[in-house]
Amino acid sequence: MTRRFGGLVALDGIDLDVPAGIVQAIIGPNGSGKTTLLNALSGASHADAGSIRIAGHEIFRLKPHRIARLGLARTFQNIRIFENLSVLENVKVAAACNNPTSILDILISNARHRHNEADIDVVAQEALESVGLARRADDRATELPYAQRRLLEIARALASKPKVLLLDEPAAGMNMTESMTLLDTIAKLKSQGITILLVEHNVRLVMGISDRVTVIDFGKKIAEGTPSDIQRNPLVIEAYLGRRHRHA
Amino acid sequence: MSTKLKRWPVLAASVCALAIPLITQDGYVIQLLNIAILNTIVVLGLNFVTGWTGQINFGQAAFYGLGAYTTAIAAKSGLPWITTPFLSAIVVIVASLALGLPTMRLRTYYLAMTTIGFGEIIRLIIVHWEPVTGGTSGLRTIPGISIFGIGPEGQAQHYYLLVATLALAILVAARIRRSALGRAMIATRDSEIAAEQSGVDTTRTKLIAFMVGAVYAGLAGCLYASSIRFISPDSFSGTQAILLMTMLIVGGMGSIAGCVFGAVALTILPEALRFLGQWYLVLYGLGVIAVIVLAPGGLASLASQFPLRRAGVH
Repeated sequence: MTRRFGGLVALDGIDLDVPAGIVQAIIGPNGSGKTTLLNALSGASHADAGSIRIAGHEIFRLKPHRIARLGLARTFQNIRIFENLSVLENVKVAAACNNPTSILDILISNARHRHNEADIDVVAQEALESVGLARRADDRATELPYAQRRLLEIARALASKPKVLLLDEPAAGMNMTESMTLLDTIAKLKSQGITILLVEHNVRLVMGISDRVTVIDFGKKIAEGTPSDIQRNPLVIEAYLGRRHRHA
Repeated sequence: MSTKLKRWPVLAASVCALAIPLITQDGYVIQLLNIAILNTIVVLGLNFVTGWTGQINFGQAAFYGLGAYTTAIAAKSGLPWITTPFLSAIVVIVASLALGLPTMRLRTYYLAMTTIGFGEIIRLIIVHWEPVTGGTSGLRTIPGISIFGIGPEGQAQHYYLLVATLALAILVAARIRRSALGRAMIATRDSEIAAEQSGVDTTRTKLIAFMVGAVYAGLAGCLYASSIRFISPDSFSGTQAILLMTMLIVGGMGSIAGCVFGAVALTILPEALRFLGQWYLVLYGLGVIAVIVLAPGGLASLASQFPLRRAGVH
């Protein structure tokens, strides 16, 4: 799997090549371009130039829903759940992305429509189970507490059966216990062969779980390596870790 | 936003609806209810676009009018009645695509402005194309509903036919709500970005909502023309578009039951308050404001408050 980027003001010639099946962390100080990078990857806001490929498929400048259907799912730093849907329905929205139904199928409720809906239901239930939210399936999404809304976003992302999962600060606002559960979930997803791109502020969380860490600052990649390499890298310590570690 | 139609209230409402012509033979009352039902169908259509997909649409009255005028013109020119629902549907689908394709990328105020403009264009065409539309005086003696010579006689029979159509309209709306399409609509309203990143083609979803909503309005227009048998531009003006939106808001955005409450209440209320003379507008206005302030979720949210509270405890 290759992804390439070039020539964006907020992202200055960033080049990332993420092997399939690893947990790749992207860290960097506030305003360093982490979320911009994620938005560019997922098509939420396009980069000015560059190239992004998932398993050989060029996805640069495709609309986000096309990118999602090609196997890239994401969560959001500022939670974006569907507030007027139930927990299960939230996940079903994404589960439907691999089951196209036309409006005519729905109106006459034919075999294809019923089969699709049954399929979507199974996939959505599984996704909820994998983050431990199956119990809350029929609740309104807004009844979930904050940390569980983050998990719901992960379940929703999983339901589209992604090859690559982008997690944008998934531990933000979580307490210690909740973060630990999150780590278990991420490890489980990795074992299912999903490539995970993790943007995180919480450096300790990143170090424990990642196979590889990329540090960016001012839209540029300043270091890349294993977590222990990164922790020893003087450039990184200066730009980021040194400052953050004291109050982390 | 209720997912399932609860069985008992629906059954009770159906029985009441079917019993009404047995209780009163007053043609005026039945006629009023017929208009209330037609408005309900139009508001159900608006609910797809505004209630579920979150796109403001002030063009719904124009689609209603397009359906009514298509039917009236076709039937008066001698075409068999059975062709008119199809003709009306085709005309509103074409119109909704013509309006929707270029505008579905617009958001909020911009889309609202465009749909107001669309409504005004349709109204002006109706008013000024006199030889065909009858201008401001409208079209009279429109042939009634007749399928191979069989058709409803009198207002009570029309009433039953419209109740049946409304039931079908509700069933279709409920089915769409429970499908991937319905979930995609609400996802589009709640967060367009998150919906896109979950694989929902939001532009397409909006366009479909717009089209389905227009077809509801177009078919209601067809039935309006051939059951009331007189149409004029006033029934499909910008004021009517705002009234339809008010029905949706007062009833409860996104709720099928809310569409029924809102449309029926706001169709009947002005007539029921007529004895107040000019004061009725004051009371009517205060009533609408009261609902919006006291129950922002609309009348439907009042009705479902108790079960929701109980569900919250568990």
